[in-house]
Amino acid sequence: MIFADRNCGVIVAGATGKQGAFHIALMNQYAREVGGKGVVAGVTPGKAGQEVAGVPVYNSIRDALREHDATASVIFVPAAAAADSIMESASAGLSLAVAITEHIPVHDTMKAIAFARLHDCAVIGPNCPGLLSPGEIKLGIMPVHLSVRGHVGVISRSGTLTYEIVDQLTRAGLGQSTIVGIGGDPVIGQTFTDVLHRFEDDDQTRAVVIIGEVGGSLEEEGARAADLPVAAYIAGVSAPPEKRMGHAGAIIEGGEGDARSKIERLKGMGVPVAQRPSDIPRLIREIL
Amino acid sequence: MKLLEHEARNIFAEYGIPVPEGEVIRSPGELGAVMEKLGDRFVLKAQVEVGGRGKKGGVIVADRSNGVERASSLFCMDIGGMPVREVLAVEYLEIQHEYYLSISVDRSRKCALILFSEKGGVDIESLARDQPDALRRAAIPVLLDRVPPFMIRDLLSGAPAEIGDVINRLYAVFCKKDALLAEINPLAITRSGIYAADAKLVIDDNALRRQGIAQNRDLTEREREAEKHGFSYVELKGDIGVIGNGAGLTMATLDLIHYYGGSAANFLDVGGGADQERVMHAVRLVASDPSVRVIVVNLLGGITRCDEVARGIIAARVRQPIIVRLAGTNEREGREILGSSGYRMLDSMEQVVQAAVEATR
Repeated sequence: MIFADRNCGVIVAGATGKQGAFHIALMNQYAREVGGKGVVAGVTPGKAGQEVAGVPVYNSIRDALREHDATASVIFVPAAAAADSIMESASAGLSLAVAITEHIPVHDTMKAIAFARLHDCAVIGPNCPGLLSPGEIKLGIMPVHLSVRGHVGVISRSGTLTYEIVDQLTRAGLGQSTIVGIGGDPVIGQTFTDVLHRFEDDDQTRAVVIIGEVGGSLEEEGARAADLPVAAYIAGVSAPPEKRMGHAGAIIEGGEGDARSKIERLKGMGVPVAQRPSDIPRLIREIL
Repeated sequence: MKLLEHEARNIFAEYGIPVPEGEVIRSPGELGAVMEKLGDRFVLKAQVEVGGRGKKGGVIVADRSNGVERASSLFCMDIGGMPVREVLAVEYLEIQHEYYLSISVDRSRKCALILFSEKGGVDIESLARDQPDALRRAAIPVLLDRVPPFMIRDLLSGAPAEIGDVINRLYAVFCKKDALLAEINPLAITRSGIYAADAKLVIDDNALRRQGIAQNRDLTEREREAEKHGFSYVELKGDIGVIGNGAGLTMATLDLIHYYGGSAANFLDVGGGADQERVMHAVRLVASDPSVRVIVVNLLGGITRCDEVARGIIAARVRQPIIVRLAGTNEREGREILGSSGYRMLDSMEQVVQAAVEATR
């Protein structure tokens, strides 16, 4: 398991919104099942004193940390204020900020990530489902019933496609160590490279699935830096150029970032690439 | 969203980047008054959001004797499927040298990246491919508000030092306008100075509102309708309609259609928490495309309620057959609702895709 374990206390920013409240309840349900600490506090400026899903709400992360132990935040704050929430997390001394929020302007994200780096705070996302270490901790919105504990690490730019592939792994008897949704935006905090390095230091993880898509070259950069056996799936073989395929970051621009050339480069590094999501378990068996 | 050249050039001019004299006309008749300001020779440039418009005949040199006639021919053109509604008429520059300058978002370094080349005027993709050494790069750390002088010296090497000022002004445009790309190609040197002889600006779709842009023009009518419902929708050229939840899963569904020899008509991501109403709108939108012959619905999620989705599919009442894969809560109820109305519900995305491809054969 990487990034966090069951003893990690969690603060949810944007706690009083519909999403925040709903997912505090689900995260704490999971924490109870696995004997973890879970969400200890919520934060929404101006809403101190309220309670959401049994969790006390504070005006700021600093206020929450005066009363509770926590090392990570999960951010559901609307796009216009989410970058601020990432910076607040870093400034308050948290070591991990998971930004679920979609539609944050790229320039805001770049500033927030640069700021977080100055405070040694790792940012996962934005525009991501968070992470799940089966049997240990859930930070974000991933469904827990599809996964089982095991030795395969999963890193993905997607949400539901991750659940699809995790389901295939589980059905094939291949459990997971940690599943990390790194986000569908063009600029994200933790990249394939960063997360792969974390998996390298994790005794539980023996192989890693990377689930990429059109746009940029983060998949190839990660695979190049990896010491662990890696298998990949790249979505968007049939995506037309210059069209944004749902995710802000899923766009083939200036002739770069198309799926075919990504796949060719990955294969050139010896990384097996699945043609269909259902081929992933077989490829993982071959490299384990 | 891509801005038109004349919109981008107005912004560049506002930030002090020199642009050639010129004006936008909306009919050939408007050229008369503009010609007075432009001198004997001038350039007519079709204002369309299409790359490589020069090669497609969208940029022509004209003079006083043939200007109106040539402008009329431009207004009759259709470039890359886009009708020409506006033409930018600009003074003809006696160019001594052409440079390339752009600032874009570097995904790997998570900051702005300046690209500069002494070989401007050609398209940057072929330059990057054929002469990668002719491109100089500088990544600007995010928290700086100006490009450090040493970086400018490294970028320019022997090129005229005045370009440094243009670089800083373009960087200000890039930061203030929430740009994903700000490009000047060519940056032209003439006897009277430096000019942005072309202007390209792409604004972050997630920042349109704070940039005061009400509507994303890059979208087709159906794509705009989809945006109203909060769907991500892209029109494609095939005959299998696709509805999924999540961008990655929907893209993977498209790819699987391609893998089995079919062809998708669209990409539609309904987003999270798809309820009856949303699913109904999604199905109707996809079905409204006349080329769609069959629709694949592939929804997977912890919180998506299958009974809601099933009711939405039935409520849409569309003529095309719909093949459904649903996984989530209340899966059995969803299957019963669909089954009793004669819809096919299958267990995996492979099965729905194969069934749809077969249906279009």
